[in-house]
Amino acid sequence: MALLEARGLSVRYGGLFANNSIDLECRAGQLVGLIGPNGAGKTTFIDAITGFTPVSSGEVVFDGVNLNDKAPNVRVALGLSRTFQSLELFEDLTVRDNLLVVAQRPKWHSVVTDVLWPGRDERKYHSQVRWALEMLQIESLAEAMPSDLSHGQRKLISVARSIVAKPQLVLLDEPAAGLDTAESHLLGERLRGLLAQDMSLFLIDHDMGLVLNVCDYIYVLDFGVIIAHGTPSEVRANPTVIAAYLGDSAGEAQAREGAALLSRESGSDAQSEMNQ
Amino acid sequence: MFNLLIGLGIGSLYACLGAGLVISFKGSGVINFAHGAMAMYGIFTFDRAWSGGEFFLPLVDFLPTSTVNVPVRITLSSAGRWPMIPSLILALLMAAALGLAAHFLVFRPLRNAAPLGKVIASLGLALYLQGVALVNFGTSFPQAKSIVPTEAVENFLGLGKTFPRNTIYVVAFTILLGFVIWAGYRFTRFGLATRAAAGNEKGAVLLGYSPQTLAAVNWVIASVTATLAVIIVGPIQGTITPVGLTALIVPALAAALIGGLRSVPIAVMGGLGLGAVQTLLDIKRSDWFTGPALGWLQSGVRNTLPLVVIVVVLFVRGKSLPSRGSVVERRLPLAPQPKRIFEHAFVWLTFLVLLAFVFENSGARTKFANSLQNGIVLSIIMLSIVVITGYTGQISLAQMTFAGIAAFFTARMMADGIGRGANLVPVTGFGLPWPVAGLIGVIMAVIVGVIIGIPAVRIRGVQLAVVTIAAAIAMQSVYFENDYITQLRAGVPAYIKTPTFFGVDIGARSARAQNENPNFVIFGGIVLALCAIAVANIRRGGVGRRFLAIRANERAAAAGGINVVRTKLLAFAISAGLAGIGGVMLGFKQVEVSSANFNYGFGLSVLAFAYLAGITSINGALIAGMLLSAGALLPTFSNYMFAGTNIDKYITLIGGLAIIVTAIANPGGVAIFLSEPFRHAGNWLVSAIPGMQTIRHAFRGPKSFMVRLVLVVICVGLAVWLRQAQFVDNVYLWVLISVVGFLILGMIFARSLDKLEPSFAEAGAQWNSWFKQFGVTAIAGYAAGWVIWPIRVDSYSKLWMPIVGAVLALFVRSIVKPILSNRASKTHGSDTDSDVANIRTEVG
Repeated sequence: MALLEARGLSVRYGGLFANNSIDLECRAGQLVGLIGPNGAGKTTFIDAITGFTPVSSGEVVFDGVNLNDKAPNVRVALGLSRTFQSLELFEDLTVRDNLLVVAQRPKWHSVVTDVLWPGRDERKYHSQVRWALEMLQIESLAEAMPSDLSHGQRKLISVARSIVAKPQLVLLDEPAAGLDTAESHLLGERLRGLLAQDMSLFLIDHDMGLVLNVCDYIYVLDFGVIIAHGTPSEVRANPTVIAAYLGDSAGEAQAREGAALLSRESGSDAQSEMNQ
Repeated sequence: MFNLLIGLGIGSLYACLGAGLVISFKGSGVINFAHGAMAMYGIFTFDRAWSGGEFFLPLVDFLPTSTVNVPVRITLSSAGRWPMIPSLILALLMAAALGLAAHFLVFRPLRNAAPLGKVIASLGLALYLQGVALVNFGTSFPQAKSIVPTEAVENFLGLGKTFPRNTIYVVAFTILLGFVIWAGYRFTRFGLATRAAAGNEKGAVLLGYSPQTLAAVNWVIASVTATLAVIIVGPIQGTITPVGLTALIVPALAAALIGGLRSVPIAVMGGLGLGAVQTLLDIKRSDWFTGPALGWLQSGVRNTLPLVVIVVVLFVRGKSLPSRGSVVERRLPLAPQPKRIFEHAFVWLTFLVLLAFVFENSGARTKFANSLQNGIVLSIIMLSIVVITGYTGQISLAQMTFAGIAAFFTARMMADGIGRGANLVPVTGFGLPWPVAGLIGVIMAVIVGVIIGIPAVRIRGVQLAVVTIAAAIAMQSVYFENDYITQLRAGVPAYIKTPTFFGVDIGARSARAQNENPNFVIFGGIVLALCAIAVANIRRGGVGRRFLAIRANERAAAAGGINVVRTKLLAFAISAGLAGIGGVMLGFKQVEVSSANFNYGFGLSVLAFAYLAGITSINGALIAGMLLSAGALLPTFSNYMFAGTNIDKYITLIGGLAIIVTAIANPGGVAIFLSEPFRHAGNWLVSAIPGMQTIRHAFRGPKSFMVRLVLVVICVGLAVWLRQAQFVDNVYLWVLISVVGFLILGMIFARSLDKLEPSFAEAGAQWNSWFKQFGVTAIAGYAAGWVIWPIRVDSYSKLWMPIVGAVLALFVRSIVKPILSNRASKTHGSDTDSDVANIRTEVG
C-alpha cells in the first residue's frame, strides 16, 4: 500500500520547473531513495511534500489524505516528518530539549498547566526522547548544546529529532552529506534499524553508495524529471542513470568510483557550509 | 488638491529622513532608530551657534565640581551670536562626526550581532543623544530659526489661496537632494561599490573594497543629509524638541519602507506622499470622520496612517516562513532555565530589606517606598518583555501600549459617572470593583496584544520592531489621547479608584497623599512574585520550549510540528497580559493615568533597559525594573547618595551609554554578572545561617508542600512586619529585632524538620572564611569610598559612600576574578574576526 503518493507534482520558480510532473510512491515499511545530481530538484521535492514550498500543479496524498492545502505543522501532525540538509537545529536548546519540543504535542490547555505545574505530564515524552536517542546511539549527548558538537553528531541529532514523535514516514534530506565513509555506513545501518520500528523512510542523498546499499526502491531525478526508478540493482544497471549521473556511459565499476568521488565532493560542500 | 500641496512641507521632512535611513541601511544593514536623534543634535548645534554663539560637545559632565571638570560648553563668540554660514558648517561637521562615531563606536563592532542587538544599540544611541540634548540644551528649547525665506505667495498657481513660499523651496530642496543621492549612488564608483557591498559584503571585499570604509562614508552621508534636511525643513514645521524630532523616525521609516529600504527616489516620493495625505486627513478629518462609525477615528487618523502604510508594505512582502537559504538568524543570548528560585527570592528579599534599612536610616522613607512601588510595577512590565523578546525572539516596542490599554480600561470599568481628581467632568463607567475591572483591563490588553501580534506572523526582526512602534504611536492617539473614547479633555488624566482588600486600603497613597502606603508594596510584591513564578514555569514547561524553538529557527519549528502562527500569537497574548497586569498596577500606583505614562518613547526605553539588565532571564527583568529604570531604586539611591548632583537627570544618558556598551560587549546584560554572585550569595546564606540547609533539603522532599506553605507564611509575615516599621522610632533596634526574630523563627522551623544543618559551628566557620576571602576587598573598597569620592563630588554622604565603595569593590571582584582565572587557565587565541581573515579561511 502506498503511504505517500505524489501525482504529477510540479514546482515552478518563475519560468523554471524545479520539479516537473513527478509521480512517486512510498510504500509503508520501505526505505525509498531519491538520487540525482546537484540542482536536480531533490530538496525542492521534499519542500513540496512537507509544505515548505507551494506546489504549482499536481497533488500530494499521504495515508489517503490530500496534503495540498495543509500547513507544514499539520502535515507533521499527520505523521510526516523531515530533516533539513542544513540541519537547522534549535541552537539555543540542549539536545534533549531539541527532541522534547518536537515530541510534545500541545493541547489547548497546556499553557495553563505549564504555568501552574511545569513538566507535569512530560514523563511520556521523556521516554520517547530516550528511545530516539537510543535508536541512533547518541544517549550520551542528551545534555550537550548542539553548537558544541561535531558535524556528524549534529546530523544524527537532526535524524533523532525527526523520528522522536514516531511519525509514519520520515523524509531525510542528505543525512550522509559531510560524513566520511565509515560514518555513512553506520548511518545506513541505523536507518535500516528504524524500519523495524514501524517507520517508513524516504532518503535523498548524493552518496550513491549509501543509497544503493540501504534503499529498497530508488527514484532517479534529473532536471526536475524522474528519469528512472526501480530496485537498486535495476537502477545500477540503467544506462540513462549512468549517463545523467556521471556524464558518460561508464560501466558499473566506474559508477562506484564516481559515486565515491561525488560523496567526497558533497562532503567538502558541507565543510565550507560549516565554515560560514 | 491644495491641501495635498500644503502637506508636502512636512512630507519633505519625512522624505529626507527616510532617504537617510535608506542610505545607512544600504551601507551597514542597520535600521537606525537614532536617525532623528542624530539630526536633532545637528540642528541644535546649528541653532545654538547661530543664535547663541556657543557650542556643546555631545557629552556631559555629570558630576560637576569645583576642582576637576570635563569641557562641554565652548563659547564661540562673546556677543551671543555667530554668523550663519560658519554655524551651518559647524553643525554639518558635528553631524559628520556623529555619523563616524555611530559607525566606528557603535555599529561596526555590532556588524555580526543579532538584529535585536542592533536595534537596541540604536535605541541606546537615541537615548544617549536625547539625554545629552536635554541636559545641554534644556527642555524648553526656543523655536529654531528658519534659514529659508518665509513670506507667502498670493494666489498660488491661480488657485486663489496663499501658499507659504518656504514650502516651495523646501520641496524643491528635497527633490534635488533625492536626485543628487540617487545620481551619486547610480553613477559613481563609490555608489556602485556600496550597492555591491549591500548585495554581497564578502564579494565586495574580494573586489578590493573595504565594506567598513564604505559603511563609514554612508553613515556620514546619512547623518549630514539628515541634519541639513532638518535645518532647512524642520523649523517651518513647528517647534523642534529633542523628543519630538526623535519621534519623526516612524513616518520616516514608513517612507524608507515604501522605498523597500533600497530606493532613495521612491523613499523620497513616499515621504512626500505620506506627508501630503497626512495633512489632507488632518484638515478634512472633521468632515470625513463623523458619526458613530468613524467618529472615534477622528483624532487618531493622522498617526494611524504610517502604521497602515508600514503594515501593508511589510505584510505584502513578508512570508509566513523564512525561505530556504535566507541569512541564518544570528543568535540571541541564551535563555537558561530558571533554577534555585528559593535562593533568588531569599537574596532579593535580603537585598530589599538592607536597602530599606539604608533609606529608613536616612529618613528618606517616602523616596524608598515610591521607588520600590515603581520598581515592582516596572518589573512586571519587564517580565512581559522577557517572554516576548527574550524567549520568543519577537522585538516588540509596544509593551507600554499594552500596559496603557489595561490601565485605561480598568479606569473606565471602575468609573461611576462621578468626576474625581483632576478630571471633574464625570466619566461614565460600570463602577466595577477593582479585581473585576483589572481583569477586564488585562483581557483587553491580551486581545490588543494578539491583534498587534498578527503582523508578526509574516514580519520578523527589525521590521517587526518598526510595526510595533508604529502601532504604539497609533494606539496612543487613537485611544489614550482620544476624548471621543476616553471622555477626557486634552491633557486630563483618567482616575483610578483606590483598591481595597477586605476593607484594608491597598492603594499606593498614604493618608498624606504620598506614594508610601506599605500595603501596596505587599500587594504589588505578591503580584510580582506570582508573575515571576508564572514566567519561570513557562520557561521550564513545554510552552517555553516551543517559544525558544521559534526563536532559534522557525522553519525547523514548523518541521517539528509546532504551529508557528499560534505559538507566536500565544507569546504575544501572554506578554500583553503580563504588561497589562503591570499597567493595572501602574494605574493603582499613579491613581491618575494619562497617555504620558504610556508614551511610545517610554516603550522604547523599557525595551532598551530590559536588554541592558538581561532580556532572557527573570533576574534581568527584576534588575531592570527594580534597579535600573528611571524612578526605580538605583537612581533614587544614587540621587540620595550624590546629594545635590541630581543624577535622575542623567539617567537617560547614562542608560543609553550603558545600553550601547551592553549591546556590543555583553549581550547577556547585567544579569550575567549578577548570576554568579547571586548563586554564591544564595549558597552562602544557606551555608552561613544555621538550619537553612535543612529547610532547603526539605523543600523537595515529602514535606515539600508544608515547607513551601511555611515559607510563604514567613514571607508574608516579614512583609507585614516591615509594614509595621512605620510606627518604630529607633530603626537600628528595629532592624536588629527583626533580623534576630526571623532567624530564630527560621531555626525553630528547621529544627522541627530535622537536625540543624549547617550547625552553629559550621555556620560560624563559614562567616570566618568569608572574611578571609572577601574582607580585604571590602575594606579596601570602604577605604576607597572615603578617599576617592570627595575628589569628584562636592557633597556626598559620609556615612554611606564608603559602604557603596565596599559593595562596588566586591562587585568588581566578582567580575574580574573569573576573567583573570580564565585567562590564566587557557591561552586565548586573539580574535581574528576581520572580514579578510574570514574570507581566507573560507576560500582556503
